[in-house]
Amino acid sequence: MMKVLALNGSFRKMGNTEILLKQALMGAESQGAQVEIIRLTDYKIASCRGCGLCLFRENVCQVKEDDVGFIFSKVKECDGVILGSPCYFLELTAVIKQLIDRCWILGHQIGKMKKPATVIVPYATRGWIPYISVQSTLLLNLMGLTKINETAICTQGISEVVLDQEAMDLAYCMGKEIAVAIGEKDFTYKGEEGVCPSCHDRLLRILKDRETVECPTCGIRGKLSMARGKIRVKFEEKGWADNRFRPEVIHSHYTYHIAPSKDYFLRTKEERKSKSQKYREYLPG
Amino acid sequence: MTEYFVKLRYYPGDALEEIKERDLKSLSRKYGVQISYEKIENRQMKEGLQMENTLDKKIEDISQEVITVSGDQEGKFSNAIRALYKKYRCPRTVYSLLGSNEAGEKIAKGLMNIFGGW
Repeated sequence: MMKVLALNGSFRKMGNTEILLKQALMGAESQGAQVEIIRLTDYKIASCRGCGLCLFRENVCQVKEDDVGFIFSKVKECDGVILGSPCYFLELTAVIKQLIDRCWILGHQIGKMKKPATVIVPYATRGWIPYISVQSTLLLNLMGLTKINETAICTQGISEVVLDQEAMDLAYCMGKEIAVAIGEKDFTYKGEEGVCPSCHDRLLRILKDRETVECPTCGIRGKLSMARGKIRVKFEEKGWADNRFRPEVIHSHYTYHIAPSKDYFLRTKEERKSKSQKYREYLPG
Repeated sequence: MTEYFVKLRYYPGDALEEIKERDLKSLSRKYGVQISYEKIENRQMKEGLQMENTLDKKIEDISQEVITVSGDQEGKFSNAIRALYKKYRCPRTVYSLLGSNEAGEKIAKGLMNIFGGW
């Protein structure tokens, strides 16, 4: 039986996120899925220590006394994920970012898991959600999942979302959709088309050359133009190949941008030691 | 006279387009600087990916393309680096200028901040 797992990034019990996730799970269940929900704040997710051991010795994480391994194992054993998080200040909640930082150890599996995921984000004020897609794309990709849809739902007070039948229907449909995607092994994107052909977000970064724009999530680059009063973005073909979530690109990143830093680290040891001495002595603690 | 000397180390996938020696020669003529090119290839195809164990290797020995630029006029040198970054993108790692001299590295690093995309 297919398993659909909901990851809840909200601390609030029976808040809008939980209600929407449960509604989506009911949709998945209607398609025969076995469902489960995890409230991430019920688990200990310690900070990444930045020790680099997971990068230099594959699959070794020094943080052993928390529940991240359990959460990753749950993702591994399910067939699809529904990620939910409220947006308080422009982005998803801290527990999502905390989990993202712990995903270094999973980086090698990007693009390999072949599992779909969908995202539901309740938020209160229109215009206060610019980075929600960046974070959800990042977390899901790092966990090896493929985002097939996402939505942001405008709602505010605790459990108020039940008053919005359209939102409830949408969540239900998204749950059904993920189950159907699992059954049909169809992980194409089903949400609203954005600007970036990869993550479908509409966020763009203008580079300092003032000529190039970049999807900050995927790293692909393009040029802006105007056509009939509308902004157009043409992404470079090579830029598209540079999408940081392509397995080849992430493999290159680990192989050539991260692993060789060990040699640099070792050969600068004496210089680092002598130049950092005054900082060891200053405000020790 | 100050000598500006920089090694730009591009690792697999870094350059936005294929680095061709004839393009480098043309840039060398245009900007009045010396440019040389070296390619180091140590990858092997495994499991559908070009694999290489880079963890315990010297930075200079892993697969990369190295564009070496030198000149004695700051303006020309700077313009050449700028053109290379615009064409190929700037190198991306903290060790990608290894082997450069101080004067060259200062210019190359400064321009990275403009073209590096942060």
